Amino acid sequence: MKFERNALFAFVALAALFPLLVRDQYLLHIGIMFLFYAVLGTSLNLVMGYVGEFSLGQTAFLGIGAYTAALLSQDFGLPLWATIPAAGLVSAVFGLAIGAVTLRLQGPFFVIVTLAFSEVLRLIANNWVSLTNGPMGIAGIAQPAFLSHESPLFAKTLYFYLMLAIVALSLYLSYRFVYSAIGRAAVTVRENRYVAQSVGIRPFRYAMIAFVLGALLAGMAGGFYAHYISVVDSEIFGFSFVATMIIVVLVGGKGTLVGPLVGSLLVTLLEEYLRDAKELRLSIFGLVVMAIVLFLPNGLMGFLARRREQYVASESPPQQVAATVTRTAA
Amino acid sequence: MDLFLQFLANGLVQGMFYALSALGLTLIFGLMRVVNFAHGEFYMMGGLLGWYVTSRLGLDFFTGLVLVTLVMAAFGWLVDRLLIERVRHLGEEPGILLTIGLSIFLVNTAMLIVGTAPEKVAGPVGNAPLIFGPIVLTKLRLFAVGCCAAAIVAAHLLIRKTRLGRAMRATFQDPMAARLAGINTARVYASTFALGTTLAAISGMLLGSIYVVQVSVGGVVSLKAFVVVILGGMGSFAGAIVGGLVLGIAEAMWGGYLSTGLVDIVGFVIVILTLIFRPYGLFSTRAERA
Repeated sequence: MKFERNALFAFVALAALFPLLVRDQYLLHIGIMFLFYAVLGTSLNLVMGYVGEFSLGQTAFLGIGAYTAALLSQDFGLPLWATIPAAGLVSAVFGLAIGAVTLRLQGPFFVIVTLAFSEVLRLIANNWVSLTNGPMGIAGIAQPAFLSHESPLFAKTLYFYLMLAIVALSLYLSYRFVYSAIGRAAVTVRENRYVAQSVGIRPFRYAMIAFVLGALLAGMAGGFYAHYISVVDSEIFGFSFVATMIIVVLVGGKGTLVGPLVGSLLVTLLEEYLRDAKELRLSIFGLVVMAIVLFLPNGLMGFLARRREQYVASESPPQQVAATVTRTAA
Repeated sequence: MDLFLQFLANGLVQGMFYALSALGLTLIFGLMRVVNFAHGEFYMMGGLLGWYVTSRLGLDFFTGLVLVTLVMAAFGWLVDRLLIERVRHLGEEPGILLTIGLSIFLVNTAMLIVGTAPEKVAGPVGNAPLIFGPIVLTKLRLFAVGCCAAAIVAAHLLIRKTRLGRAMRATFQDPMAARLAGINTARVYASTFALGTTLAAISGMLLGSIYVVQVSVGGVVSLKAFVVVILGGMGSFAGAIVGGLVLGIAEAMWGGYLSTGLVDIVGFVIVILTLIFRPYGLFSTRAERA
């Protein structure tokens, strides 16, 4: 708990220093994408890592958020400070509705139905031309007006801090969720559904809280993305975002708050290094996923935690208690 | 009315292909409990291999079909022995992730090799229309439906009449008892996976001769196969066939009377409704709910 909290604080502080040290648009863009994937990973991790149900429909919320922000900005001229929270809220409402249907199912059925929902939304976005402009997407989403007088570097810096604020909010909400009675109840459901039910925990309720929270975070990330990229089309519901989110969570280690941050960093860097070869990059992603499932099922954080336990246990056998404490902390 | 009959005929034809590819998935997902997200990619590989052997190697359709069957069976066997085997006892989630990884890998590797252009499998018979009263079908479609039916019957006979089929049924009833009776269950699992892979690939090659086959087709095919398996009932042979036909007809009707843009939505609506109102599916062999 303490380790995780300190790590999160240190992360946000370091990230806040980043634009002061780096005065380069390209690097700032990478930083922004890193933070963006970190929020997406955190949002998926709430359901996948803490409730133990595997949602392939997280892009539904990303897309809903992005479209909400785009439409509010285009049709009502709302500024960015209003559209991003609104995107989160709309997405959370959808989370409530979709969760009410999907969370009654478990295992593979939950996976397939969440995927079905995001596909349905993708098809609707593609076909409801009068609302979403169909496959053409919504282009030219407004940037904050005062940015037009400023340098592009300043704009990037501003977006960086905006994304960082969303990251900080996401981490704060997730931290409060995970280390509360609700989070512990959710973990109980993950570890053993029947035991959880027998001590009076209703799995549906806790799964729903995690699901809606995840939808809120993904929706805000989507709202940000719409403004930052300034184009939204139905590709945002597509499988490539899901794949990236899964890899972010898996590489870092699901069920830890630090994991998605680590995973996001690795994925963003890998993506940039392999940018020249698009298909090859995704092929390598596929291999990475398989390798992680086979050889590193708990991700990097899980691996490090286990190594540390082994180390502590071998160094000082009497301090077995310390090892257990570390495990709960991590 | 004539239009209705035509839609019905189109739906039945399409439904047969759904049935064949779902049959493969009902073995892998319904019986083996592997949530195989790479199923559509197996279908895609079947189609592309079919295109390669007929157009590039210049083999005739049937030799090509046999070759594709053999290659894909070997591929399925290897996938099971090298990948699925390692996560078999770990529950569903690792299997899901593993097959998602496999699917990402296969799609993009295929894209590197073949590119994104749609390819066509050279069909064995001409595309001349055949007219039955108000219904028009092409010769090629009827031929492909015949092949589909033959493949379904062959798979049925394999499972019902052969020694391997008996071993499969025993293994999926009770793996422990099957092992005690001397069945090499690892081999049975691999054979089942290979059979499922092959059925998907045959479906891909047949459909590739009617329409085209494209690298990116896999995702939709996987989802539709899942829809059919869930609708028909996990692991049910009859369910996969009836479910496939239902989906095919529903899509043909929707596309004919309502809108063609949203045809793919039918399957998702069906799966959501099935899981809410009839979670056992239409023909579940086991009393097992979603």
